[in-house]
Amino acid sequence: MWWHRKEDKSGEEEMTVKIRFFARFRELLGTDIMTDVAAGTMFTSLITSIAKKNPEGYAAIFDKNGAFYEFVILMRNGKRIDIADADRTVIVDGDEIAVFPPVAGG
Amino acid sequence: MIAIQTDDVDIGALIAVAKKQGTGAVVVFDGIVRDDEITEMELEAYEAVATQELEKIAGEATRQFGLLHVDIIHRIGRLSVGENILIIVVSAGHRPEAYAGSRYIIEEIKKGVPIWKKELTKHGGRWVPGEHGHGNGKPR
Repeated sequence: MWWHRKEDKSGEEEMTVKIRFFARFRELLGTDIMTDVAAGTMFTSLITSIAKKNPEGYAAIFDKNGAFYEFVILMRNGKRIDIADADRTVIVDGDEIAVFPPVAGG
Repeated sequence: MIAIQTDDVDIGALIAVAKKQGTGAVVVFDGIVRDDEITEMELEAYEAVATQELEKIAGEATRQFGLLHVDIIHRIGRLSVGENILIIVVSAGHRPEAYAGSRYIIEEIKKGVPIWKKELTKHGGRWVPGEHGHGNGKPR
Protein backbone atom coordinates (compact mmCIF):
# COMPACT_ATOMS: atom_id res chain seq x y z
CA MET A 1 0.00 0.00 0.00
CA TRP A 2 1.41 3.38 -0.98
CA TRP A 3 0.70 4.92 2.45
CA HIS A 4 2.83 2.26 4.13
CA ARG A 5 5.83 2.92 1.95
CA LYS A 6 8.83 4.46 3.58
CA GLU A 7 11.67 5.84 1.59
CA ASP A 8 15.23 6.40 2.66
CA LYS A 9 17.35 9.35 1.54
CA SER A 10 18.19 7.71 -1.76
CA GLY A 11 14.50 7.26 -2.50
CA GLU A 12 14.59 3.47 -2.13
CA GLU A 13 11.78 1.74 -0.32
CA GLU A 14 12.55 0.54 3.24
CA MET A 15 10.73 -2.00 5.36
CA THR A 16 10.68 -2.93 9.02
CA VAL A 17 10.87 -6.55 10.09
CA LYS A 18 11.18 -8.36 13.39
CA ILE A 19 13.78 -11.06 13.98
CA ARG A 20 13.36 -13.56 16.77
CA PHE A 21 16.13 -15.91 17.90
CA PHE A 22 15.46 -18.61 20.47
CA ALA A 23 17.38 -20.68 23.03
CA ARG A 24 21.17 -20.64 22.49
CA PHE A 25 20.82 -18.35 19.46
CA ARG A 26 18.86 -15.84 21.59
CA GLU A 27 21.55 -15.84 24.27
CA LEU A 28 24.18 -15.01 21.66
CA LEU A 29 22.27 -12.61 19.42
CA GLY A 30 19.31 -11.23 21.37
CA THR A 31 15.70 -11.40 20.23
CA ASP A 32 12.77 -9.30 19.04
CA ILE A 33 15.19 -7.29 16.93
CA MET A 34 13.35 -4.66 14.90
CA THR A 35 15.35 -3.69 11.86
CA ASP A 36 14.89 -1.70 8.68
CA VAL A 37 15.76 -3.52 5.50
CA ALA A 38 15.85 -2.46 1.87
CA ALA A 39 13.23 -3.77 -0.52
CA GLY A 40 14.36 -7.00 -2.17
CA THR A 41 16.44 -8.21 0.79
CA MET A 42 16.63 -12.00 0.92
CA PHE A 43 16.09 -14.11 4.07
CA THR A 44 19.66 -15.44 4.18
CA SER A 45 21.35 -12.06 3.71
CA LEU A 46 19.21 -10.49 6.44
CA ILE A 47 20.08 -13.19 8.99
CA THR A 48 23.74 -13.14 7.93
CA SER A 49 24.04 -9.40 8.53
CA ILE A 50 22.32 -9.58 11.94
CA ALA A 51 24.30 -12.65 13.07
CA LYS A 52 27.63 -11.08 12.10
CA LYS A 53 27.21 -8.66 15.01
CA ASN A 54 28.41 -11.46 17.28
CA PRO A 55 31.03 -13.88 15.86
CA GLU A 56 29.99 -16.61 18.29
CA GLY A 57 26.35 -16.19 17.30
CA TYR A 58 27.27 -16.28 13.63
CA ALA A 59 29.34 -19.43 14.13
CA ALA A 60 26.41 -21.13 15.90
CA ILE A 61 24.14 -20.66 12.86
CA PHE A 62 26.41 -20.64 9.80
CA ASP A 63 29.14 -23.04 8.73
CA LYS A 64 32.57 -21.94 7.48
CA ASN A 65 31.19 -21.51 3.96
CA GLY A 66 28.52 -19.11 5.20
CA ALA A 67 25.66 -21.60 4.73
CA PHE A 68 23.04 -22.35 7.38
CA TYR A 69 23.87 -25.48 9.36
CA GLU A 70 21.39 -28.17 8.33
CA PHE A 71 19.94 -28.36 11.86
CA VAL A 72 18.94 -24.68 11.95
CA ILE A 73 15.19 -24.10 11.68
CA LEU A 74 13.89 -21.04 9.85
CA MET A 75 10.41 -19.55 10.01
CA ARG A 76 8.68 -16.64 8.41
CA ASN A 77 5.40 -15.57 10.00
CA GLY A 78 5.14 -18.91 11.79
CA LYS A 79 5.73 -21.07 8.71
CA ARG A 80 8.84 -23.13 8.09
CA ILE A 81 11.17 -22.10 5.28
CA ASP A 82 13.46 -24.66 3.71
CA ILE A 83 17.12 -23.72 4.02
CA ALA A 84 17.47 -24.35 0.31
CA ASP A 85 14.87 -21.64 -0.36
CA ALA A 86 16.15 -19.07 2.13
CA ASP A 87 18.50 -17.27 -0.23
CA ARG A 88 15.71 -16.72 -2.75
CA THR A 89 12.99 -15.83 -0.22
CA VAL A 90 12.31 -12.10 -0.30
CA ILE A 91 11.59 -10.36 3.00
CA VAL A 92 8.38 -8.35 3.06
CA ASP A 93 7.47 -5.36 5.25
CA GLY A 94 6.13 -6.51 8.64
CA ASP A 95 7.55 -10.03 8.42
CA GLU A 96 8.35 -11.88 11.63
CA ILE A 97 11.44 -13.97 11.05
CA ALA A 98 12.44 -16.72 13.50
CA VAL A 99 15.70 -18.68 13.64
CA PHE A 100 16.22 -21.43 16.18
CA PRO A 101 18.08 -24.64 17.01
CA PRO A 102 16.42 -28.09 17.14
CA VAL A 103 13.53 -28.15 19.57
CA ALA A 104 13.67 -30.04 22.86
CA GLY A 105 10.27 -29.74 24.50
CA GLY A 106 8.27 -32.39 26.29
CA MET B 1 -7.26 -27.14 27.19
CA ILE B 2 -4.17 -26.45 25.12
CA ALA B 3 -1.77 -24.07 26.86
CA ILE B 4 1.79 -22.93 27.32
CA GLN B 5 2.04 -21.36 30.73
CA THR B 6 4.27 -20.80 33.76
CA ASP B 7 1.70 -22.02 36.29
CA ASP B 8 1.18 -25.64 37.31
CA VAL B 9 -2.21 -27.29 36.83
CA ASP B 10 -4.56 -29.38 38.92
CA ILE B 11 -4.33 -32.77 37.20
CA GLY B 12 -7.28 -34.13 39.18
CA ALA B 13 -9.50 -31.36 37.85
CA LEU B 14 -8.34 -32.09 34.29
CA ILE B 15 -9.21 -35.79 34.69
CA ALA B 16 -12.69 -34.87 35.95
CA VAL B 17 -13.31 -32.77 32.84
CA ALA B 18 -11.84 -35.46 30.54
CA LYS B 19 -14.47 -38.00 31.63
CA LYS B 20 -16.82 -37.23 28.78
CA GLN B 21 -19.82 -39.38 27.99
CA GLY B 22 -18.59 -42.68 26.56
CA THR B 23 -15.21 -42.56 28.31
CA GLY B 24 -13.77 -45.93 29.26
CA ALA B 25 -10.17 -44.86 29.81
CA VAL B 26 -8.24 -41.74 30.73
CA VAL B 27 -4.45 -41.71 30.23
CA VAL B 28 -2.34 -39.05 31.92
CA PHE B 29 1.22 -38.33 30.87
CA ASP B 30 3.14 -36.18 33.34
CA GLY B 31 6.66 -35.18 32.28
CA ILE B 32 8.74 -34.16 35.29
CA VAL B 33 12.05 -32.35 35.90
CA ARG B 34 14.41 -35.23 36.64
CA ASP B 35 17.18 -34.99 39.22
CA ASP B 36 20.13 -35.20 36.81
CA GLU B 37 22.38 -33.29 39.20
CA ILE B 38 20.72 -30.05 38.16
CA THR B 39 19.46 -27.23 40.33
CA GLU B 40 16.66 -26.07 38.04
CA MET B 41 15.45 -26.24 34.48
CA GLU B 42 14.60 -23.23 32.35
CA LEU B 43 12.08 -23.64 29.55
CA GLU B 44 11.49 -21.30 26.66
CA ALA B 45 8.92 -21.40 23.85
CA TYR B 46 8.06 -19.60 20.62
CA GLU B 47 4.66 -19.31 22.21
CA ALA B 48 2.35 -18.36 19.35
CA VAL B 49 3.77 -21.01 17.02
CA ALA B 50 4.10 -23.66 19.75
CA THR B 51 0.44 -23.20 20.75
CA GLN B 52 -0.67 -23.58 17.14
CA GLU B 53 1.44 -26.73 16.79
CA LEU B 54 -0.01 -28.23 19.97
CA GLU B 55 -3.54 -27.53 18.72
CA LYS B 56 -2.69 -29.22 15.43
CA ILE B 57 -1.26 -32.28 17.23
CA ALA B 58 -4.34 -32.51 19.51
CA GLY B 59 -6.64 -32.34 16.47
CA GLU B 60 -4.69 -35.00 14.61
CA ALA B 61 -4.62 -37.31 17.67
CA THR B 62 -8.38 -36.87 18.11
CA ARG B 63 -8.99 -37.82 14.46
CA GLN B 64 -6.54 -40.75 14.34
CA PHE B 65 -7.46 -42.38 17.65
CA GLY B 66 -11.05 -41.28 18.17
CA LEU B 67 -10.22 -39.46 21.41
CA LEU B 68 -13.06 -37.91 23.35
CA HIS B 69 -10.97 -35.25 25.10
CA VAL B 70 -7.40 -33.89 24.94
CA ASP B 71 -5.52 -31.53 27.26
CA ILE B 72 -1.93 -30.49 26.63
CA ILE B 73 -0.30 -28.10 29.09
CA HIS B 74 3.38 -27.33 28.58
CA ARG B 75 5.04 -25.21 31.21
CA ILE B 76 7.75 -22.63 30.61
CA GLY B 77 9.97 -20.57 32.90
CA ARG B 78 12.11 -21.89 35.75
CA LEU B 79 11.14 -25.25 37.20
CA SER B 80 12.70 -27.17 40.07
CA VAL B 81 13.45 -30.88 40.27
CA GLY B 82 10.20 -32.81 40.70
CA GLU B 83 7.98 -30.17 39.12
CA ASN B 84 5.62 -30.92 36.23
CA ILE B 85 6.85 -29.86 32.78
CA LEU B 86 4.22 -31.31 30.48
CA ILE B 87 0.81 -32.73 31.24
CA ILE B 88 -1.17 -34.62 28.62
CA VAL B 89 -4.62 -35.91 29.50
CA VAL B 90 -6.59 -37.92 26.96
CA SER B 91 -9.80 -39.86 27.18
CA ALA B 92 -11.20 -42.50 24.88
CA GLY B 93 -13.78 -45.27 24.86
CA HIS B 94 -11.13 -47.94 25.36
CA ARG B 95 -7.55 -48.13 26.66
CA PRO B 96 -5.75 -48.97 23.36
CA GLU B 97 -6.91 -45.69 21.81
CA ALA B 98 -6.18 -43.70 24.98
CA TYR B 99 -2.63 -45.08 25.31
CA ALA B 100 -1.91 -44.75 21.59
CA GLY B 101 -3.28 -41.20 21.46
CA SER B 102 -1.24 -40.11 24.46
CA ARG B 103 1.93 -41.68 23.00
CA TYR B 104 1.33 -40.03 19.64
CA ILE B 105 0.98 -36.59 21.25
CA ILE B 106 4.21 -36.75 23.28
CA GLU B 107 6.23 -38.07 20.32
CA GLU B 108 4.90 -35.32 18.01
CA ILE B 109 5.73 -32.65 20.62
CA LYS B 110 9.30 -33.96 20.81
CA LYS B 111 9.61 -33.84 17.01
CA GLY B 112 8.67 -30.33 16.19
CA VAL B 113 7.06 -27.97 18.71
CA PRO B 114 9.34 -24.93 19.25
CA ILE B 115 10.15 -25.33 22.94
CA TRP B 116 13.64 -25.57 24.46
CA LYS B 117 15.06 -26.63 27.82
CA LYS B 118 18.16 -25.47 29.60
CA GLU B 119 19.52 -27.45 32.52
CA LEU B 120 20.92 -25.22 35.23
CA THR B 121 23.66 -26.64 37.44
CA LYS B 122 25.97 -25.25 40.08
CA HIS B 123 28.54 -24.76 37.34
CA GLY B 124 26.33 -22.95 34.80
CA GLY B 125 23.80 -24.02 32.23
CA ARG B 126 23.49 -26.36 29.27
CA TRP B 127 20.82 -26.42 26.54
CA VAL B 128 19.29 -29.85 26.14
CA PRO B 129 20.15 -30.93 22.59
CA GLY B 130 17.13 -31.41 20.35
CA GLU B 131 16.78 -34.04 17.67
CA HIS B 132 18.73 -32.74 14.69
CA GLY B 133 16.74 -34.96 12.36
CA HIS B 134 13.87 -32.51 12.14
CA GLY B 135 16.06 -29.51 11.27
CA ASN B 136 16.94 -28.81 7.68
CA GLY B 137 14.28 -26.12 7.61
CA LYS B 138 11.82 -28.49 5.97
CA PRO B 139 8.12 -27.89 6.48
CA ARG B 140 6.45 -30.71 8.32
